[in-house]
Amino acid sequence: MAAQKSYSLPSFMNSDSSLPWLLPLITMLIVFAIIPFFYNIYLSFHEFVPAKRALLFVGWDNWIRLFTDGVFWGSLKVSLYYTFMCLLIQLVLGMGIALLIDSDDPGFGIIRSILTLTLVIPPAIAGMIFLIMEDANYGLIPWLLKSVGLIGPEDTILADPTLALWGVMIVDIWQWTPFMVLILVAGLRSLPSEPFESAVIDGARPFQVFRRLTLPMLHKVIAVAILIRGIDLWRMVDYVFVLTSGGPGTATYTLSLYSWQRFTFVQWGYGATISLFSLIVILIVGNAFIHFAKVKW
Amino acid sequence: MNKVFKQVLGWFIAAIFFFPIYFWITVSIKKDKDIFALPPKLFDFEVSFAAYEEVFGISRFLYVEDMGAVRPGGGDFYMMPNLVDSIIIALGSTGIAMLISILAAYSLSRLPIRGQQHFMGWILSTRMMPPVAVAIPMFFIYKNIGLMDTHLGIIIIHALMNLPLAVLLMKSFFDDIPKDIDEAALLDGATRFFVFWRLVVPLAIGGIAATAVLCFIFSWTEFIFVLMLTQTGLKTIPVVSTSFVTSTGTAWDNMAALGTAAIIPAFIFILLVQRHLVRGLTLGSVKQ
Repeated sequence: MAAQKSYSLPSFMNSDSSLPWLLPLITMLIVFAIIPFFYNIYLSFHEFVPAKRALLFVGWDNWIRLFTDGVFWGSLKVSLYYTFMCLLIQLVLGMGIALLIDSDDPGFGIIRSILTLTLVIPPAIAGMIFLIMEDANYGLIPWLLKSVGLIGPEDTILADPTLALWGVMIVDIWQWTPFMVLILVAGLRSLPSEPFESAVIDGARPFQVFRRLTLPMLHKVIAVAILIRGIDLWRMVDYVFVLTSGGPGTATYTLSLYSWQRFTFVQWGYGATISLFSLIVILIVGNAFIHFAKVKW
Repeated sequence: MNKVFKQVLGWFIAAIFFFPIYFWITVSIKKDKDIFALPPKLFDFEVSFAAYEEVFGISRFLYVEDMGAVRPGGGDFYMMPNLVDSIIIALGSTGIAMLISILAAYSLSRLPIRGQQHFMGWILSTRMMPPVAVAIPMFFIYKNIGLMDTHLGIIIIHALMNLPLAVLLMKSFFDDIPKDIDEAALLDGATRFFVFWRLVVPLAIGGIAATAVLCFIFSWTEFIFVLMLTQTGLKTIPVVSTSFVTSTGTAWDNMAALGTAAIIPAFIFILLVQRHLVRGLTLGSVKQ
């Protein structure tokens, strides 16, 4: 019993109460999640006034400004478009690739390993990789698009108001489609084989099997993948920061980037208001999604 | 035939996803004339490690020595201090996040907790917060308490960022270990902490390693907190890599050398814990 005694030292941890175990976590969450949240609310009713060199109470000014600011609405549109389009493309591409490499053949294990590699690249560096590949003068991608005639000889990607957002989205799609692939492959691998075998015996066509069996059985895995990817897409800022800094003009401002940009212009209160708006939206949408898709942890 | 076609298509897709990485590595060992060549030189370029020497201070060291000084580095693109900053921050934040999350996850997995579902929901909601929405208030808090521009400040914020992942993931690993083990030991008179530390933690060591690796990688790759909560005191690799873009042009080869050096260790780490990767990416909810 000697060994046991030496481990009974933190006696408060020997009761069946969960509080001492959770206390460090709760402290961290209060100090670094609850306090910033309320500080953000406080900031959204204040603004730095350069003439007085102080943060002063301004009432609802920041919120009124928010809803009358064209750049804010533009960045909201960009964030929504970016999140929705990337999610859709990554899900469809990911499902296609997952169905293809869902196999025990040894080669596919190596393919899955290769696909994990993009996930650990710092997003800022992934942005750099595509910054050189999309460079207007000596970039690989514009050169390819020009040689097949998809864009004109004088066109660019990142300096073009309509193409710039896609220039950013391509990085996200490249880096995070493997995320969908790996999750969906894990889901596919865990499915029982009997229903599929009997469906084939009954003469079901592949698409019917996919529509009637695979999709419903993967429901939970797909929901989790959409939730986590959706959260990260909504708060993405690294790629736009590196690739376009929001330009040309304000064409690729996302909510997070616009908030950061206002912050650096010493409009602290307004920057906080934008970020608070973005936070409230994701909290509501995210928790509603968890509720309605019945995602459980 | 169908099988062969699937293999070929699979390898083609893998090649497309690997290509940008390969291209980036070649940029780091190319000379300027080959970096800017169109059509791109993918295989037949002149290999040069000058960029690595500059970034990691080897050539600069010799140059400074010639001038009569012994100080290594000091050039515009000398990045060793930033590499050290990145390692300190990733290790420190991983350590804190793991310590807190293992304790919390054990009680979430084993002990009765009132409102457990709500608590888990709160942890998940923390995972949803956009970094900017945390970083703006933290900027003022850090200024007031003196954590601005310090390693400790970034370590704490990265630990916080990783806590939801670490707690939920560790809970799923603890859930995999049968509760009978705890109960049998408790009946034999062992204390709760003994059960936790000597029985459950050793059984979960693979999961702990996988969680730690993911925390390390997410701290290693994090960008916006470091950007907003530091000024001159420190810079991690993702943030400092943006400084290669200067008004006189971009030092692509140096940037690629630093980027390559930053991603190769991450590749090795992630392949080591590949077995638990999907569980980690889904915060413990999809098991492989």
